Amino acid sequence: MYLPSVGPVSIWNILFVIAPLGFILYFSFLTAGPFGRIVPIFTLENYLALARATVAEVFLRTLLFAFTTNMLCLLIGYPLAYFIVMYGGRWRIPLLFLVILPSWTSYLIRLYAIRTLFGRAGLINSALLSLGLISSPLEILYTPSAVVFGLVYGWLPLMVLPIYASLVGLDPYLLEASADLGATSFRRFFTVTLPLTKGGILAGTILVLVPCIGDFLVPMLMGGAGAFMAGNLAYLYFITAANIPAGSTIGIALTVIVLLILYLCIKSGGKETTERIV
Amino acid sequence: MKSWNITGKILPALVTLVYSFLWVPVIILIVFSFSNDKYGIGWKGFTLGWYSEILNNVAVRNALETSLIIAIITVVVSTVAGTLTAYGLYKYKFRGKEILRMSLLLPIVMPYIVTAGALLVFFTRVAHIPLGYPSILIAHISFSTPLAVFVILGRMQRIDWTLEEASIDLGADRLTTWRKITIPLLLPAIIASAVLIFPWSLGDFTVTFFVAGAGTTTLPIYVFSALRWGETATINAIGAIFVALPVICLLLVTLLQRKGVRKSW
Repeated sequence: MYLPSVGPVSIWNILFVIAPLGFILYFSFLTAGPFGRIVPIFTLENYLALARATVAEVFLRTLLFAFTTNMLCLLIGYPLAYFIVMYGGRWRIPLLFLVILPSWTSYLIRLYAIRTLFGRAGLINSALLSLGLISSPLEILYTPSAVVFGLVYGWLPLMVLPIYASLVGLDPYLLEASADLGATSFRRFFTVTLPLTKGGILAGTILVLVPCIGDFLVPMLMGGAGAFMAGNLAYLYFITAANIPAGSTIGIALTVIVLLILYLCIKSGGKETTERIV
Repeated sequence: MKSWNITGKILPALVTLVYSFLWVPVIILIVFSFSNDKYGIGWKGFTLGWYSEILNNVAVRNALETSLIIAIITVVVSTVAGTLTAYGLYKYKFRGKEILRMSLLLPIVMPYIVTAGALLVFFTRVAHIPLGYPSILIAHISFSTPLAVFVILGRMQRIDWTLEEASIDLGADRLTTWRKITIPLLLPAIIASAVLIFPWSLGDFTVTFFVAGAGTTTLPIYVFSALRWGETATINAIGAIFVALPVICLLLVTLLQRKGVRKSW
């Protein structure tokens, strides 16, 4: 009886989710030939190339940008979720939707929106110029900070949602009890609220870190040469150079990083983290 | 001792700042879509010209059509497949259940660039599936079905399944029970997943761009190439549509739910 219901999607996923990942794992051990060909000769060269200084630097930068973005999202997103839950009242749901709705809008369009705002001829520069605060337009874009800014703008909503859910599920009596026992609001937050919402924080971390690690659009649109990320490298190999073995290797490397992050987050966040991801 | 009160002034100020951070750029985008500035970055008087330009520009119109066709097919297929799969996952024990669940989580937890790159390689080097509508549809359905499955599974954990049993006890066959009881119970979740999937499919750039090939242009791909060639004039208007779309979807659903509540009184 279960076959008609789960059969179609099982077959579909084996074909179009699992098999493609299996094939890039296989191709990552093969040799790249001329004109985008894949030569079936086993090699570890693609993996050794990851250790080369230029490539390793790109991966380190990617991790640095992703973790910085994640910390900023947490520092901004937690107080925001806290505010909505504690002071939102009957506006809780509308306030939450005001955070989530932008993330349902096309990512490309949202990045375009901040790019026009901060560009050389954008609103910020024109405003500063006409106020006489600067004499020539500032180059706000095409810096590493601009990339982190773009990533935070893009993925902040995904940090807020699981933390919100965690805070809503918090038992108010625990907070009351700790207040009755004389804890200051400061102490109460750090010894009761924060530890009890760990699952939500780690779920948000997964939801922000993972897409940041694979992003190529923000560095492409707002980053310039100094902000090349692993996603751009994959893009370069897969699309521009049609070097499938090299692209596949980047893909596998990113997969390993992501699986490691998932493992660590789920291990310390437990069941709640898994439940809050989807 | 007076406790250190962060919630008094700092928190509301921060919250206001974050909401502005999220909304000011898109609001400015919408405002500029009505601006008579051919670079789309300043206010030079009101015009609806860019919207009529969208309708008159063949390239934009084709891209919009392509995106709509793909989004509609994706929504239909993935909500149907998602409902079936969620039902099977919820109701039955079977071998490979955990593998299926994991394969459904993969598109959600993996970076797009990995899954999209893997699909591209699979299409062009292994399965020889033509790039264009077939590849884009396969990719979109693969990414949206898991969303539908998990949204609907969430609802299944909260509904009253005795209604289904009652229907079968009263002699209804399985199909009738599905049609009259199960589907109506799941409908809010099915609609919710459609509301998530439709804007996603319409607005996705990363996955689509990877598997689209040269001949098929969706609206986000059009925007991307227009950005590259510096033809930014109509992008604000297209962007405004993308911003408005999820808002409209959400309002429609809220409205429908309100009506549903009134009906049940």
